[in-house]
Amino acid sequence: MSAAYFQELRDRPVPVTQTMSLTVIAQDPSVKVDGRILTTPVRLPAEHLEPGPRGGRFHVVDYDAASGGLLPASVLEPQLIDRFAQADDASLVTDPDFRAQNVYAVAARTLAGFEAAIGRRLGWAFNSHQLYLVPRAFAEANAYYSPEDRAILFGFVPGPDGEIQTALSHDIVAHETTHAILDGLRPRLVEPGLPDQPAFHEALADIVALLSVFSLPPMVEHLLGNAGKAGRLPRARLTAESLGRTALFSLADQLGGGERGAGLRRSVGLTPSPAWSDGPAFLEPHRRAEVLVAAVMQALLTMWAERLVAITGNAGADRARVAEEGAKAATHLLHMVQRGVDYLPPVELEFRDVLDAVLKADEVMAPDDEHHYREALTAAFAGFGIERPPDVIVDLSDGPGLVYDRMNYAIMRSDRDELFRFIWENAGALGINRAWQTRVESVRPSVRVGPDGLVVAEVVASYNQSLELTAAELARMGAEIPPSLPGKTQLQVWGGGALIFDQFGRAKYHQTKPLEDWERQSRRLAYLVGQGLSGQGGKYGFSLLTPRGQRFAALHVSDAYPEERW
Amino acid sequence: MSPAPPTPRPKRLSIRMYQVGFGDCFLLSFLYGQPLADGRSERHVLIDFGSTGWPKEHRQRYGDIAKNIAARTQGRLDVVVVTHRHKDHIAGFGDATAGKILADLHPSLVLRPWTEDPGLAADAPRPRALGARSRSFAASLNAAQEFSADLADGLRSEKRGLRLGLAGLAFDQVANQAAIDRLDAMAAAAGGGRYLYAGQPSGIERLIPGVGVSVLGPPTPDQWPEVTGERANDPEYWIAHRALLQRVLTGAAPRRRAQADPHRVAVRPGPERWVIERMRDQEDHSLLRIVRTLDDAMNNTSLILLFKVGRRHLLFPGDAQIEDWSYTLKSGKAAKLRADLGKVDLYKVGHHGSRNASPKSLVHLWQQRATPLTSMMSTLSGVHGHSEATAVPQPKLTTALEALGQLSRTDTLAVDRLYLELATVTSRVEPFTETQG
Repeated sequence: MSAAYFQELRDRPVPVTQTMSLTVIAQDPSVKVDGRILTTPVRLPAEHLEPGPRGGRFHVVDYDAASGGLLPASVLEPQLIDRFAQADDASLVTDPDFRAQNVYAVAARTLAGFEAAIGRRLGWAFNSHQLYLVPRAFAEANAYYSPEDRAILFGFVPGPDGEIQTALSHDIVAHETTHAILDGLRPRLVEPGLPDQPAFHEALADIVALLSVFSLPPMVEHLLGNAGKAGRLPRARLTAESLGRTALFSLADQLGGGERGAGLRRSVGLTPSPAWSDGPAFLEPHRRAEVLVAAVMQALLTMWAERLVAITGNAGADRARVAEEGAKAATHLLHMVQRGVDYLPPVELEFRDVLDAVLKADEVMAPDDEHHYREALTAAFAGFGIERPPDVIVDLSDGPGLVYDRMNYAIMRSDRDELFRFIWENAGALGINRAWQTRVESVRPSVRVGPDGLVVAEVVASYNQSLELTAAELARMGAEIPPSLPGKTQLQVWGGGALIFDQFGRAKYHQTKPLEDWERQSRRLAYLVGQGLSGQGGKYGFSLLTPRGQRFAALHVSDAYPEERW
Repeated sequence: MSPAPPTPRPKRLSIRMYQVGFGDCFLLSFLYGQPLADGRSERHVLIDFGSTGWPKEHRQRYGDIAKNIAARTQGRLDVVVVTHRHKDHIAGFGDATAGKILADLHPSLVLRPWTEDPGLAADAPRPRALGARSRSFAASLNAAQEFSADLADGLRSEKRGLRLGLAGLAFDQVANQAAIDRLDAMAAAAGGGRYLYAGQPSGIERLIPGVGVSVLGPPTPDQWPEVTGERANDPEYWIAHRALLQRVLTGAAPRRRAQADPHRVAVRPGPERWVIERMRDQEDHSLLRIVRTLDDAMNNTSLILLFKVGRRHLLFPGDAQIEDWSYTLKSGKAAKLRADLGKVDLYKVGHHGSRNASPKSLVHLWQQRATPLTSMMSTLSGVHGHSEATAVPQPKLTTALEALGQLSRTDTLAVDRLYLELATVTSRVEPFTETQG
């Protein structure tokens, strides 16, 4: 496009808009309808874009690793025109400007979805407002978030029939963006902890990616396959089980024969049972993540089937309407999951905390649960033996009195030191042990709007506690030490929690993971020692030597038989 | 007509493990009570001969080792087994002095895995195990080795850091042509080499009476698709990578950085430059992951041989990783091959004691019985794996093996020793006696 063309568009009178529309590839270039790549417009928050595109939160740098060259920055003017709305397939897969648009739009949509659900701006884990997106970073079938580089790096695979570009896969871009968002919200989850922790990073990224793809009605319609007469699907195809067999399995096929498709296929096919928690195979983060993905997808199917009851007659239901309801159920579930992240513990995360956090956040936002979504989610998790813990999120509204007299709530809403004072003054009533080193990680005000229009204003604060000691000292405190571990081994143990305040500055919930839970510390240590996850000098529980970006890169390399390794 | 004389059976056996640092070289000798038809009363099998890292106290000793093999075999080697084509298993054959000494021992049989068969590319009728999928995999290994050769060449001036490690790993993958030529010549002199996959007869029984050998691995991808990853099985993938690599190296290798490159555009100061300057490390990490897939694929072409002699069972798995092992351990078709694994009383520790090559379920078979297990491990610490989780040898494995019985290892052998030898009888399971030389 010429500069003159843009100038002409710019000169037209345009009203100031809050959103803009950009075309993206619905899943990846292999997903075609009527012989053409399936694309869809997505709406994003409008913002000023410099060439790159470079907006307030993302900066696309199309550095081509193969040539060592920097491609000219793409100029997008989405407020004026969605340039690729009618583009042919060849342009979609070869035009660097579209590649830049696709990564930018999918990443921005993912962030916007989280921000809308959580009710505030979300920062990155590194010291910058803008996350680099590098769509041709290396010639490898991998893509990963690298916090040291403040970037998500997307690989491409050369091949005889053209390149496979991970930057053009909706699920991969959404997956990696979710890793970056979660790292910003809960930076300690990538550090050595319980086995559920790395699995959760992977699972949340997968869940957001899958539900994000699934929230596009044209994609769901495509996944449902052919309809019968008059575009209707028969009743038999509208049960939760049947929808799983068709839509989710075909989504797995669309993700390809590699690890992405195989992972979802295994997830969908996983028979609900608590047995996984004893299997050594499920210590590997991918396999473990599949359990959580399976539970959430199972809940999606139940929710979807429930929504279809009202539109299904004897002759079945219209395929487009079925798809629309599927996309709505996915969007709703996605928001439930995203909202829950604020109620997660900052350290020592376990799968049951995920269920607890999602349910609690939803109870606050949608007290009535008219469609029984919480029941669906609870039942799906119960199938895998994951039960909501009764006492991890403590309701402070009916507990012992907390002292507010020495606090200034206006300051406490955004000041970590003031919040620390609150904890210090109320440690006894909150059940927080002052003996351990305690730090407030973050204090963040949020305003959420629930599905029924309920507005909830909260301040969410997270804190952590740590202690360094030897294995022998930990044993004396009551933890069980693996027999192979010498008593003088240096250890670091962690605890922490999240405090939720209401709009009047009163603490209402305390998500608590006490450091002095010796049973949990024993399990963590057994896992770290069993997996050889030691840091410098053979210490356990400290940060690992591997750079964080390379840990994310390694997460995506599949491990066929983890239970057979030493 | 008088009845056929009974098959002679070895009365004793010995295994000499040479100190090659990070590599393997084992000489199996079978001793008969009386001379066999050719007047000799011993038979000898050499399994692998190579190294990629010698102990720092001495330089490579291929010549000394070859001379020792010649002396021990009294000038006649019966079988040469090359488990797979990695340098740490074949480089010694490429040494001019050592290679000639070994060739002059006139082995009657040279065994290599099916991937090494030069005739694979020819268009001829094949057994089902060597279908299109398997032939494509073998072609991809060759393409991947050429990719590695270019990479190693491009990085040859690197002296430190990640690039040095990358150059080293790439160099380990490069075909050692001198060694392959020597082995081809030895095989030709023996009337043609044999190239094996799981379940085939080894041909050793014909030469070494009273010794049975089961070929447990490697399975071909047609027998067992899990033996290889998706990418490693596509020659086009490696060919395309090789084409790209030239541009990557031109753009990134410091030696060539100053040269003009038409693809390179000047990056002005600013936020783009910050991230682009950090991309080089990421490219190196990426290349490292790619070369590791080749390293794994090559290890998984290892021959896994189980020798049965009287009541003794000796297991030599080369560097087979879990994917190679999984055919024997997990496939329904391989139940027969699996039957004798629980009886193994001597185990050549796979892949120098790495965490990936001695499957836990295999070790578990030996943990469930009363009979001790003797293990032999040829390794050198500090070459691979720099964290506790990835260390080679892996301490958790060596601890488990020590709990099962004697573990003999070259990394604790005095540096002036050339080898460590274990010997025993074949008629009953009793401990091995150890000597050093």
